Amino acid sequence: MTEFTVVTRDTPAGPVLELTGDLDAVTAPLALQAVEALTPRAGQQVVVELTGLRFCDSSGISTLIAVHNLAHAADAGIALAGVPRHLTRTLALVGLDGFFVTHLTAAQAQAAWPEATGG
Amino acid sequence: MDARRRNNVTDIGREDDPTVLLAHGFGCDQNLWRLVAPALAERFRVVLFDHVGSGRSDLAAWSPQRYSTLAGYAEDVLDICAELDLRDVVLVGHSVSAMIAVLAANREPARFAKLVLLTPSPCYLDDGDYRGGFSRADIDELLDSLESNYLGWSAAMAPVIAGNPDRPEVAGELEASFCRTDPAIARVFARTTFLSDNRADLADVTVPTAVVQCSADAIAPPEVGQFVHDQIKGSVLVTLDATGHCPQLSAPEQTAAAIAGFAGAR
Amino acid sequence: MIRQAGDPREGENFADLYEHAPCGYLSTSMDGTITKVNGTLLGWLGIGRDELVGRRRFADLLSVGGRIYHETHFAPMLRMHGEAGGIALELVRADGTRLPVLVSSTVKTSANGDAELIRTTVFDAHDRRSYEQELLRALQEAEQERDRVQLLATTLQRTLLPPSLPHIPGMDVAAYYHPASADEVGGDFYDLFPLADGTWAFFLGDVSGKGAEAAVVTSLARYTLRAAAVYDPHPVAVLEHLNTVLIQEQISTTPRFCTAIHGLLEPAEGGATITLASGGHPPALLIRHDGPAELLTAQGGQLIGALPDARFVELQVHLRPGDTLLLYSDGLTEARTHDRVRYDEEELRDFADTLDVSSATETVAAVSQLLAGFGVDDDTALLALSVRLDEEGRS
Repeated sequence: MTEFTVVTRDTPAGPVLELTGDLDAVTAPLALQAVEALTPRAGQQVVVELTGLRFCDSSGISTLIAVHNLAHAADAGIALAGVPRHLTRTLALVGLDGFFVTHLTAAQAQAAWPEATGG
Repeated sequence: MDARRRNNVTDIGREDDPTVLLAHGFGCDQNLWRLVAPALAERFRVVLFDHVGSGRSDLAAWSPQRYSTLAGYAEDVLDICAELDLRDVVLVGHSVSAMIAVLAANREPARFAKLVLLTPSPCYLDDGDYRGGFSRADIDELLDSLESNYLGWSAAMAPVIAGNPDRPEVAGELEASFCRTDPAIARVFARTTFLSDNRADLADVTVPTAVVQCSADAIAPPEVGQFVHDQIKGSVLVTLDATGHCPQLSAPEQTAAAIAGFAGAR
Repeated sequence: MIRQAGDPREGENFADLYEHAPCGYLSTSMDGTITKVNGTLLGWLGIGRDELVGRRRFADLLSVGGRIYHETHFAPMLRMHGEAGGIALELVRADGTRLPVLVSSTVKTSANGDAELIRTTVFDAHDRRSYEQELLRALQEAEQERDRVQLLATTLQRTLLPPSLPHIPGMDVAAYYHPASADEVGGDFYDLFPLADGTWAFFLGDVSGKGAEAAVVTSLARYTLRAAAVYDPHPVAVLEHLNTVLIQEQISTTPRFCTAIHGLLEPAEGGATITLASGGHPPALLIRHDGPAELLTAQGGQLIGALPDARFVELQVHLRPGDTLLLYSDGLTEARTHDRVRYDEEELRDFADTLDVSSATETVAAVSQLLAGFGVDDDTALLALSVRLDEEGRS
């Protein structure tokens, strides 16, 4: 069976969405529910923590694009943290390498965000 | 294709003895032959199998297209013969498999030395002067009967599956599946069995044939056995002093003797 | 067999219980002939004892359908197991009406193990039968509903794929589609169709997600690509057109995008020239007749329908006789093989190198066989084009 968890936490710098396990057509709707529940404020940054992501197919990519769209609509930033090698490869395949800001860890992503205090 | 696995083929007896291939009928599986096969195996190589959809066959191989005609089942019989490289086969078909055997033998007569048609019926429905014994309404009633045993099925079978401590010889796992068929598959098989009409195929049989029937059989009455005998030129008619549609169970010694007698004769 | 106990009243009770029990009792010889029957059952049937005992078989009391069931299932089970229980049958009363019953039988054996007689208990199953019929009807409705859904999915799917591929002079073309599920429309699509002047357009793509929403996008993508290619056959222009349409048509908050390769085929001296544009799709595979297979990576082509100014990348190859171009959806390269290792594009290329194929038909056959071995759980589409070897002399 597919194993997947999605956890959100709010930080002063903005919400952090942590996805672990397999993100595929079966689990993507769960992830999307969590994405739609995010309420970033203008100037904040949404960080998607992906260190524990073992598998990601095109449905998973749509989750990342959904986060991107949501953040943009709220005038917030978006960064990916701990992008696993397989995802780097998939992102390159669909022409999205360089599209997302990436950092090694969520903490680094937040430290790099100019409005880290949460404005 | 792996017919051995698909049809759960059992191969007993000595490989260099003449081959008897036993095909079970509607409702059960190769276990129907369990009282007959050991006696036959003393003189013959005995090959048994389950039709796809029955017993422990590969249910994934079942499709309503292939198995809604007896020709589909006959192809399986030929597949088994080809895969095991069986030659000069004595093909014994019980009940609906008697007609499956006729179709297989007409397709590849060179493969078969003899046919034994056990309680055969080429057509179960009455038609003009022909008396098959059943009307269309009767067959619809059978389909309902299968349906109404659908729900109670697992419960009804529970004591059987759990084994019968008084009769340990029948408590094995193989026997547990006896007569248990997926109801949807059973329905298609019942339709195929009871609505086919293979009367015209009988005249084409060129392989030496024995018709073996019971003196009292509610499904294939003696007149029907006589009809089959009349239509197949040179066939032998054997009437067993046995009741019911399954003489392998009600009169196993006689049945084995009839098969062995005809199969072994030169 | 009624045991006579010491107290005559007790004996009478046994006999009375047998005769007037709230269920039918019946004993038969092994051939089914009735040897003993209780009053309850006779009452239900409306038949006299003399008409039954020694004259009729148990199976004679059943409806015809039930009799076949008895002969093909019940009697064999009883012989094999010594008992059979809870079987639903119908008795036919003297007046021709039916009585639904539940029947259980056991075989009584003698001390030395010989079967002697069959004892049968018959329960009136009138109430239970109505309840079961309700259940059965619900079950049948559920099954019909499921069949309807599958039919709808299959029909819809058929509208998303070409019914057959056209014949291209001098070329061999083949396609394969494996749906992930019979209940849901998949997101893969492909097509091959003629343009003006003996040129042809083709595409293969994959919409993210599954089900009705994905099917809407799939349908939109397919028809947009066909129309756009006629309007301006240049593959990058075709994909840009699709991108614009998909972004305008975003139908929900869930992003629906697709990846696709669109191609233009032009007959050329000694084969065909193919111009491809990729929008975020796995690279096409070129299987040379006389050389190693290669992945045609259009680096940087972006997925379609997600970004307003998506970028698409074009490349051109020449197909010689025996060369095959294979387009595939990520059902193939995202296939999680049995050990859960992703089968990637490079492995596909290496696999192609092991093949001795020189036509689209052979290639699709070999790759679909590979897929069958994976046990793929995603939709998978394949489209292959090759220049016929036997055209070599003529070109």
